[in-house]
Amino acid sequence: MNLMSAPGAGKTTLLEATIKALQGKFRLAVIEGDLQTDLDAQRIQALGVRAYQITTGTTCHLDARMVARALDAFPVNDLDLLVIENVGNLICPASFDLGESLRVVVCSVAEGPEKPKKYPVMFNKANVVLINKIDLAEASGMDLKELTANVREVNPNATIFALSARTGEGMPVWTDWLQRAVAVHASVAMVSV
Amino acid sequence: MHEISIAESIVQIAEAKAREQNARSVQIIKLRLGTFTTIVADALQFAFEIARQGTLSRDARLDIEIVPMVVRCVVCEASTQPVRGVCLICEQCGFPLEIISGEELQIEYIEVDSGKEKSPWSQYQNEFQSKPMY
Repeated sequence: MNLMSAPGAGKTTLLEATIKALQGKFRLAVIEGDLQTDLDAQRIQALGVRAYQITTGTTCHLDARMVARALDAFPVNDLDLLVIENVGNLICPASFDLGESLRVVVCSVAEGPEKPKKYPVMFNKANVVLINKIDLAEASGMDLKELTANVREVNPNATIFALSARTGEGMPVWTDWLQRAVAVHASVAMVSV
Repeated sequence: MHEISIAESIVQIAEAKAREQNARSVQIIKLRLGTFTTIVADALQFAFEIARQGTLSRDARLDIEIVPMVVRCVVCEASTQPVRGVCLICEQCGFPLEIISGEELQIEYIEVDSGKEKSPWSQYQNEFQSKPMY
């Protein structure tokens, strides 16, 4: 799963909440992408989950070669789900296929309703759009219906969940969906082998 | 500036292809680039000029063909080119539009200098060389 968003949309917090909900249900690991620091990998490791930090230096996205190099040092053979948290950026990561089977884009309510229209390539390529921080919707003056409609405009087929990783509101619907998606993917992969 | 890493990949691909052909140099790289990507042609040209240095592509030209975004309704089959903003819901019938073109980032062909003299006999020469030698 390739997890993408603008900086500060809440990818890591969402990932922490997702891990807490699914821990023990399947085996997962995380590759973190950031320009600098391994702070995000530390946050994931604090939950007892294996995490590997890629620091890109100045590069604005992860590409498949960086992930391939990471996999040399970070075996993932015995996993059900590998999450790659991309560099916070709504432009460049859209163009770089990491070999993922699921693309998830996080958009927080404070970013304003026009985000999908301004970054259509990123939102168009998402399988799932997670609208995060809905606990702040009222304070941000955000109309969730407007944001959802704008996502639909650039990606009519996206699966959309509205949630708050911090309060937990809406989280079970997303984590249930993810659990099923992982199970379906595993069975399809087994058939194709 | 992710165009830098794209340009590097293009040069690497051209390098590998040229070596496969035992070519002396790469002359032209023809690229098809859709408008519904996050890659900017001017920035890519600029990045290419840097990436090609010290490679077989050092004198190569990067020809970029811009491929416009075309979308088509899955139901009424009306096709359009979105101009200002992208809306993938059909104005006529409200069904999703599918993207027909505009997502391309594709090397169409690479022209190399094979180093062989172009004489009237060259085709026969090639024929001879392609036969297995026992």
